Order: sequence, then C-alpha cells, then structure tokens
Amino acid sequence: MVEAVQRARAEGWTLRPVGSGHSSSPLVRTDGVLLDLSEMTGVLSHDVDAGRATVGVGTRLGDLGTQLYDLGLAMENLGDVDLQTIAGAVGTGTHGTGVRFGNLSTQVAGMRLVTGTGEVTEVSAEKSVELLPAVRLSLGVLGIATAVTLRVVPAYELHRQTWCSHIDWTLEHLDELQQRNAHMDFYWYPRSDETQIRILNPPDRSPDPRPQGTLGTDEVEPSHRALVKQRHLRFDEIEYMLPSEAFRACFAEVRRRIKTRHRREVAWRLLVRTIAADDICLSPAHGRATTTIACLHNASLPHDAYFSDMEAVFRAHGGRPHWGKKHSLTARDLRPLYPTWDTFAEIRRRLDPDGVFLTPDLADLLEAPS
Amino acid sequence: MSALGQRVWVLPGGLIPWPTHGEEPEFTGFDQLCILNTGDEAAEVTATIYYEDDEPAGPYRWTVGACRVRHVRFNDLVDPAAVRLGRPFGCVVRCQVPVVVQFVRQDTRIPGGLALMTTMAFPAS
Repeated sequence: MVEAVQRARAEGWTLRPVGSGHSSSPLVRTDGVLLDLSEMTGVLSHDVDAGRATVGVGTRLGDLGTQLYDLGLAMENLGDVDLQTIAGAVGTGTHGTGVRFGNLSTQVAGMRLVTGTGEVTEVSAEKSVELLPAVRLSLGVLGIATAVTLRVVPAYELHRQTWCSHIDWTLEHLDELQQRNAHMDFYWYPRSDETQIRILNPPDRSPDPRPQGTLGTDEVEPSHRALVKQRHLRFDEIEYMLPSEAFRACFAEVRRRIKTRHRREVAWRLLVRTIAADDICLSPAHGRATTTIACLHNASLPHDAYFSDMEAVFRAHGGRPHWGKKHSLTARDLRPLYPTWDTFAEIRRRLDPDGVFLTPDLADLLEAPS
Repeated sequence: MSALGQRVWVLPGGLIPWPTHGEEPEFTGFDQLCILNTGDEAAEVTATIYYEDDEPAGPYRWTVGACRVRHVRFNDLVDPAAVRLGRPFGCVVRCQVPVVVQFVRQDTRIPGGLALMTTMAFPAS
C-alpha cells in the first residue's frame, strides 16, 4: 500500500480505494488507479472489556455483523443496508435511525491509514487525536485506510415491528414515536398517503405509543439482522439531513410538491429517519440533532426533475446532502453548511499535499475555487 | 375446491384516473385488479403492461394464496417500474393455475364526485 501511494505520488496518478460500489455519487470514479481492498476482511482483534474491535477495511457490514455476533459483540446501530464495506460506510457517513444514535462514523474509535505522502499514521484517542474528527468521515481523501477500530457493544437482540398506518396519524405522533423508542423510522407512500412505521426496541420493551394500523412484521432477531431491510428493487435515491426542528415544515412542502407536481410519475416511497448530533468535521449531522428525508425512485424512470425539485426544498430548510447519494452541490455550496469545513480542508492538504486521492469529482466537492 | 377460471386474462382499458380528490387512501383514484384463486394451490401471478408509445413493462409478480382473493392497485405497482397516472395502458395477466380476474376503477377526477366502474377481464385461455 505504501509503495502504491509513493509511486502514485511520484508519477502523478490518482489512487482511489474501492468499497462495495453502493454509493451513487462519483466518489470513486477516476482515470487513475483503483485499489481493491476486498481481501482485507474480518475482525483482526477485539477487546470485550474495552468495547473495541479492529476490523479489516474491506469487511462488508453483513459479514461484520455475523463475525462480531460470534464474538458476543455488535455495532451499536446500523443502516438499513448491509452491503457496504465498513470503510465505505463510515467514510460516507452512512446512518441508521434512532435519536440517541450517531451515524456509523461516530462508532470509529481509531483508524490506521496510509496518507498521501506514504506515511502510515495511527489515529485514535491516544495517537494523533486531533485528526480523529476528520478521519472518521473522510470520503477516502485523507489516506487509504488499512484497519478501522470500532466502538462496539455486547451483542443484543431487537424486536422489530412494522405497521401500515396513515400519514396524518404518523405525523401527529412522530415526536413521541422517535423519542420513546430505541429506533423508529417510517416510509410515506405518495400515492395513498399511507405509511409503514418501523419500530425496533429491546425485546422487553413495548412500542410506545403503539401505532394505529395493521401490524406487519413482528420478529425478534440479533441486532445486525433486525436493523437491516431486504431490498431487491433497483432505485435512485436523494437524501438530505435536516436540522430536526426544520423537519415538519420541510416535509410538508415536500409532500405538497410531490402530490401536486410529481405524483403522476412518482409511486415509490420516502424514508424518514433520525440521527444524533456529532462533532465530525464532514458529518451531515455535525452539531445538530438530525432528521433525514430520502426519496427513492425506480432506477428505470427519469429522476432529474423530481430530485432537483426536492433538493431545492431540502436546501431551503438547511439540509445537508448524504455524501454517497445523489445531489448537485459543490464545495462552494457545501462550505457554508459545515462549521469545521476549513479544519478538514487544512488536514486534507497536510495529509495529501499532492492530491494523490483527489479526483476531479472530489476536487469539485471539496475544494472551492478561490 | 377445484380451481375456477382461466390462466390468461386480458385487460385493454387501463388508465389510472388523474387528478384525484378527497381524503386518501379512501378516495384516491385507482385502477385495480381483483384476483380470485379458488384452487388448492397458491397462484403465482405475473402481469405485463402495454403502452401506446413505449415497450411493455414487467413482469410484475405477486402471489394469491390457495382459496384466497387479492386486490392489487395499479397505482401501487413499483417493481420493476411505477405505472404513470393518467396514461393509457393494457395488461395481460398470466398464472400457472386457473384464476378469475376482475377490474375495478375508482374515479375522483371531479372534486366531490366519485365514480366506480367494474368489468371482468377477458379470459384469453
């Protein structure tokens, strides 16, 4: 890895690490060299008492969940897809739902990476701690991660229940549903105004309040299986992270526009989730309790007009885009949204002074023209 | 009970009414298939949708259990692709066992008005 970086630096290539290819934004596209890390898998070491596990960066979340479970451990929260590699997931701020849980990047306790100068750098609470808020979510522009240390918890089970309900009831009780349950999210279906409410709690805890509607799924499973949903449909997606206090006004306008402008073509669903605030430089939940809205649309149908109209609403309400999903923002738009943007930029230039990891797409995203 | 009906049904007159008025989902304008499986074996149903100006879409798939009925709104189909509201379409339904297929339309295009229309699909085999 060190040789690859040094050679790329000397000869002027760009290097990009490849995860599972789950992102739909061009974070990896390059005319240079792709580094396939899919052989760097598995739990490398773990400490149950300290609640730490160091894992290979190419480990897919689904496999990682199983391996941690076999060791009596688990990640404290997961997204609803487990196809991504751990490095890709934390590197893009992948998240699940739950007002008391940060995104997956917040579970990073340390990382070993080969920087753009070919140096091997350990980052943790004990070493180079000042870099931790940057490396936890870096889009792979600070270095090639070779191992990630995660903050983990004892393995646990969750009771997953879903209800088919109505948007009016869901919005009326949303605050209680989000605050009183460990994990809660909902889909809104624009062609019926119905919702699917999903609640996950420890098995000894009942849903509070119990949703009005028809109970669907009702299962108890280990957390790494309960938190993940199965999807086979090919779809495009835009997702923005909003300050939670702006959610209601934003969702009302999103709903109005879909019903009046887009419903002829848009049949699939929107997903609403929550994320706890954090202090990670490029985290879309930086400094604020966050509610997210994701629009999912058939990949075979045009999405430009729909997503563009939704993005205008999200931006008007202070939204920050998910790094791995579709959006149109560049550094000029993004910099004012992130209080520690310049801190990250300074660290990036220090760790990768020659831009070994900076493709033209990433330069558009991260380097505002002066 | 023996399976009643046919294995292939045809519906040429699809057009999900648009716009729609009134509380939802009760008054949402829709086109709907009603599939009755009176047999002892689950019916694996596939539908192909035909348009005036585009290639056919599908297959859309669902299961109707043995001795069960299932109502499917065209509005809700998303896999492999949503059906656009207000766009003429036709539909062919195929099944490995005999079933009976009926079509229902609820039309709320006029504010405060509601029209229901129903017909049997054409049994092609």
